[in-house]
Amino acid sequence: MQTTRVTIAKYIWGMTASLIILLTGGWLILAPFALGYQPWGADWANQTINDFWVGIPVAVVALVSFALFLASLIGALRASGVLVAAQRSQPVVAAAPAQAMMQTAAPVAPAAYSDQSDLDRTLATLAAALAADLNSRRQAQASSNQQTDQTISNRRDV
Amino acid sequence: MTLGTAMRRLFPLGSYVLLLFFLTGIWVVISPFAMTTQPSGIHWIPSTINNVVAGSLLIVVSLAGVLGYMAFELRDILREAREKQLQQELQEHQAAATH
Repeated sequence: MQTTRVTIAKYIWGMTASLIILLTGGWLILAPFALGYQPWGADWANQTINDFWVGIPVAVVALVSFALFLASLIGALRASGVLVAAQRSQPVVAAAPAQAMMQTAAPVAPAAYSDQSDLDRTLATLAAALAADLNSRRQAQASSNQQTDQTISNRRDV
Repeated sequence: MTLGTAMRRLFPLGSYVLLLFFLTGIWVVISPFAMTTQPSGIHWIPSTINNVVAGSLLIVVSLAGVLGYMAFELRDILREAREKQLQQELQEHQAAATH
């Protein structure tokens, strides 16, 4: 059996580096006030201005970087099948569930019911199976009626 | 795999961002001296110590991030190449066994 190997270490590594840099950026913003070399109420010193305006972009870009690494990690997990993407509900089924069930060929539960409980999903599958069975019976009946009408018309012609 | 693909895998967009942090770290370290907020001839004032430590952290973490990601990606590329080679050898063996 072929197995899919998922390597997430690089994403975790990137996320950790981004997180440390994010904290460093936050510290650069706070440090002048926390360490007391920027007096309260006074005009900002040159070093305060420098630290503040360097710390803000560092923190913001680190946050974006963290989000990108996280998105890559989720993408890799989805690609390997570890995570399953959430299925969106289909508006057709929500608008006319009976009609949608009648058109269902195989007894498969509609995607709209994927978020519901096991009992609901089982009932939905059962309803879909019954609808498909009823549909096939009606089609068979309609085709047999059509065949009978054809036979009667053939006899009349003879 | 072409060389361009391998380079793109080894240096993704995040690595360039980390290199930007590396340059920022250098600036944070030298800024007290470049902006002359650190008087010459005396011990370092608290803001200088803070900037040197924070800047060094930025430099170390960003470099470790780039190199670590590159190492992990290189390991993955080598592993993929090895698995591909093994698969090819297996197919050749199977083909030889059928003939």
